Amino acid sequence: MDVVIQIVITGLTLGSMYALASVGLSLIYGTLGMFNMAHGLFMTLGAYVAYSVAVAFGIPLVLGIVVAMAAGALIGIITHLVMVRFMLGTADFGTNVLVATAGLGILIEDLLLKVYGGYPYPQPLAVEGFTRIGRVTVTYQAVIIFAVALILILGVAWLLLKTRFGRAIRATALNREAAMLMGVKADTVFLQVMALAGMLAGVAGLMISTQATLSPQMGGDPLLKAFVICVVAGLGNVWGAGLCAFGLALLEAAIGFYIGVRFGFPAMLILVILVLIWRPQGLFGSEKVVRL
Amino acid sequence: MSNHSKNNQTRRGFLKGAGVTAGSAAMLSGLNQSAQAQSSDPVVIGCPAPLTGIVAADGIEFQRGLEMARDEINEMGGILGRPVEVVTVDTESKGDDVVIQAAQRLIDKDNASAIITGYNLETGTALHDVVADAGVIAMHSNTVAVHDELVKSDPDRFWGTIQYDPPETMYGEGFLKFIKDLEDNGEFKRPNNKIAIVTGPGTYSINIANAMNGGAAAFGYEVSLFETVKVPVTDWGPTLAKLRADPPAIIAITHFYTQDQAQFMNQFMTDPTDSLVYLQYGASLAAFRDIAGDNSVGSIYATVIGALQDEIGTGFADAYKGRFGDNASPNGGGQTYQALHAYALAAALAGGAGAPYEEDQNRVVADRLKSLIYRGPMGTMRIRPDTLSAYSYPTETNDPSLGMPHIFSQVHDKAKDGVLIAPSPYERGNFQLPPWMKS
Repeated sequence: MDVVIQIVITGLTLGSMYALASVGLSLIYGTLGMFNMAHGLFMTLGAYVAYSVAVAFGIPLVLGIVVAMAAGALIGIITHLVMVRFMLGTADFGTNVLVATAGLGILIEDLLLKVYGGYPYPQPLAVEGFTRIGRVTVTYQAVIIFAVALILILGVAWLLLKTRFGRAIRATALNREAAMLMGVKADTVFLQVMALAGMLAGVAGLMISTQATLSPQMGGDPLLKAFVICVVAGLGNVWGAGLCAFGLALLEAAIGFYIGVRFGFPAMLILVILVLIWRPQGLFGSEKVVRL
Repeated sequence: MSNHSKNNQTRRGFLKGAGVTAGSAAMLSGLNQSAQAQSSDPVVIGCPAPLTGIVAADGIEFQRGLEMARDEINEMGGILGRPVEVVTVDTESKGDDVVIQAAQRLIDKDNASAIITGYNLETGTALHDVVADAGVIAMHSNTVAVHDELVKSDPDRFWGTIQYDPPETMYGEGFLKFIKDLEDNGEFKRPNNKIAIVTGPGTYSINIANAMNGGAAAFGYEVSLFETVKVPVTDWGPTLAKLRADPPAIIAITHFYTQDQAQFMNQFMTDPTDSLVYLQYGASLAAFRDIAGDNSVGSIYATVIGALQDEIGTGFADAYKGRFGDNASPNGGGQTYQALHAYALAAALAGGAGAPYEEDQNRVVADRLKSLIYRGPMGTMRIRPDTLSAYSYPTETNDPSLGMPHIFSQVHDKAKDGVLIAPSPYERGNFQLPPWMKS
């Protein structure tokens, strides 16, 4: 029983981090049709900004989350205003924006290196202490990561499904031209989506850095996992990305325990191949690409 | 007062504060004084090092070590009057392709007379062909047996690539012997006969783990877990669950990444088992204690190349931290620091450093380097003629003055470097039962 609890705890902790990373990525793809290759660096930036503010002012975790969200939102807005909006609607947008955001990612990483260097800093906003379920230790940090992910993902769901803002996003995602004819300002929607995805990325980065350490490359591994999750879920499917994040993380944890830790990620990749053969549109994707 | 006297006084004062042995420094200084300046052109030392990426904590120290040695050597008059210049290229914690390109660029563009670095995350043989083709010397601490095999396979081609520390195979045997000594001395009583070995996916970590796995039975241990983890390790949950389900007497982690080892201790300490924890190399860096904090106390780490805590090693460590701050790691920086000092002395003894493609002169420098018994902050560097790797003490020689010590340290205070507890005569403290273990 302890083993099952351990697998669930590990799966939920990893899943929370994967979900925060993949939901933002999926949201951008679903609305703008772009792969944001700089998403991992949005996470990294959020973690570093929260770190800097925490070191300078000794803020608590709650404020750290707000700071990480603000930093992520800001870089999302800047990316849209300075780069993406000029490329929207151009021929080969998907390919061009993929290359452009990859370049942006390299630029942000280099800037972080210039400012912070390569030293692996511990995240001061990490919460210490633990409790037990049975004989299994559960750190407060893991609980916080899960709670933050749950709150933010439910918040995003509420935003998308129950608000005027969400309807505008969904309408734009389904048919940009039709939405514009109905009075939706597509440019504003894109800007808001980039800000929202950036916020999620910033928090994801902060949460990941509490489990690992701060380094300019820390966003690379979660970004890779987020891509895998988005593909399995169905590109652009926000709900699917959230569910798949937890499902794949639980699978990774179970394989790690029963077969070996090193087989966790290869198993995820095998699953991707199988899913793409069986359902090329992903587990939750549909031919009509109704994304929400 | 003549300029000559002024220089002497400056150098004397300098030598007092320098980290190197006064004898070695004085020898280089003397050679410089007796020689006429060859030219004002700098001797360029190229350093391809992982300044970014997963092992950046080490790469930064490698660069610092070279900078400190460069300044000291230049203060002594350079190499026969020629100042030393260090050019570093970031290898981004990547593999052979990046390291080869970096080394080639350092030689062809920057005119490097020698390549001196710590380790890179490559196969361990990336530099060999590059420097053999260019006729220059390379000094590295990749700490791999594959270097030995390659050099032995064609000694005439690979005359100039020197691994200035012993290969990784020394870790496995040395660790089991270290545990036996603790038991023989009554300092450690094993709670059971199990040992859990956790390795990374790289050849280096696996070779060490395999050596432990193969040798464990001879020391009365049964391997209860042999786990390979992926990189980076964010969550040690599944591995810890296995360890807690079947607690071993010893947990040996040969996956050497500093931040991953620190996270292991952070997560292990939430519910520790009655096990001795051995962390190979990564815990020797200050970043480990910085990340793990109180959880680092009690852990044991080892390195076949680390700063000693004797007069020479401490002198170096103090000077190093004085220059780069308390978070700087003499264990990392001391590697390139010692290598550059040894190279400078060998080049001075050989009549000067050769330029790229001046193979004849560089061969003379390499011969001097191979015949040196160089004592620095990391202990004695003496190069094996067959493998061009450093001899290891006590595994390969029982004379501490003729081999680089395989040192074992234990963190007693999170704010200080670990205390060196073996081998004799370098130990500066005793093994302490980790706070989480039952006596």
